[in-house]
Amino acid sequence: MAALLTATCSDYSPEMVTTNIDMVADEAAWIRQAQRSDARAFEALYRMHVDKVYGLCLRMTGNVSEAEDCAQDAFIQAWNKLGKFRGDSAFATWLHRIAVNTVLGRIRKSKREQDRIQAVSDAATLSFIKDDAGELRDLSDAVNRLPSGARHVFVLHAVYGYSHDETGTMLGIAEGTSKAQFHRARRLLRQQLDDQGFEA
Amino acid sequence: MNEDKLVSTASRLTTEIAPERDLWPGIAEGIQAPRRQSWAPVFAQAAAIVLLIGASSAVTYVTVKGQQQPVTQVTPELMFEQTSFGGRYNLGPDFQDARAELATQLDVELAKLSPESRAEVEDNLEFVQKAIYEINQALAEEPNNALLQSKLLMAYREELSVLRRVGGLTRNVMMRNDI
Repeated sequence: MAALLTATCSDYSPEMVTTNIDMVADEAAWIRQAQRSDARAFEALYRMHVDKVYGLCLRMTGNVSEAEDCAQDAFIQAWNKLGKFRGDSAFATWLHRIAVNTVLGRIRKSKREQDRIQAVSDAATLSFIKDDAGELRDLSDAVNRLPSGARHVFVLHAVYGYSHDETGTMLGIAEGTSKAQFHRARRLLRQQLDDQGFEA
Repeated sequence: MNEDKLVSTASRLTTEIAPERDLWPGIAEGIQAPRRQSWAPVFAQAAAIVLLIGASSAVTYVTVKGQQQPVTQVTPELMFEQTSFGGRYNLGPDFQDARAELATQLDVELAKLSPESRAEVEDNLEFVQKAIYEINQALAEEPNNALLQSKLLMAYREELSVLRRVGGLTRNVMMRNDI
């Protein structure tokens, strides 16, 4: 571990990167190296944060292949914008913002969101996130069936803990709109779960 | 499930999910290209504005004058002194101050650019200033031509806009009401 923290990024082998991502890493050093176009350092950052970014993309899109594309695009955009990262916020938060923008941008450009909604509505049950279990999986599926506006707000506010102010900023909507969408999401989710016979 | 419990449960949903496949190869391929230069969109916008103004001014000039005029050497220093045509559209001192300040800032910013980028910016500005000059020439003969007056104002605004974008300035720039 000490070697990992003191070595330069160019000393890392891919094996080191993949085997040490769950350890405490010198994120700031990797960021500095990546800002100087060190792709290996950026790979280390990717491996450290991919689960967070992909998780957000999957929650927001509700579609595995779309989430994979979004996560890839988000990291490519992060690479392009890395020079502007000044550490005013946590790197993970900065990545989250890029991921949200990527998701929204792709939805605007594509009609696949409509296809996704149709596909989801046609499916009786869709347990696409295997990490959730029991009532969490049922809620996860219900969230995935929400209309996109309500789903995005619910995911960012209720699942990821962003305030309505932050959620509104990330989604480009007013704070009040975020609150309204959140109440709409709660109501729709309760109706869905009640219909499935869930008890309080 | 009541709504409070629902929200409470939602906060326990997994936030970190591992993708089913390694996404890095696609990312590695995507980042092989050189980092995008932030100047590129600015140049694209400036070029589009200049082309629009140039084409619009040319059509207006030809329409109004009805015949080709000799090519005249552009003298940017005199631009603002020559804009007193049309009593309702004189340029105020504040506008001229703002333009002079932006022009000064432009020199500083231009010095930071590569020779190619600097030449591109200078070409664009020369183009728009030439359009301004030609509209002024037309206005000299028809000072009350509303179309020309409108084109002139638009051209000045666009020049300021280009200057501001090139300089990356954030200060407020004179708008139409300041003219």
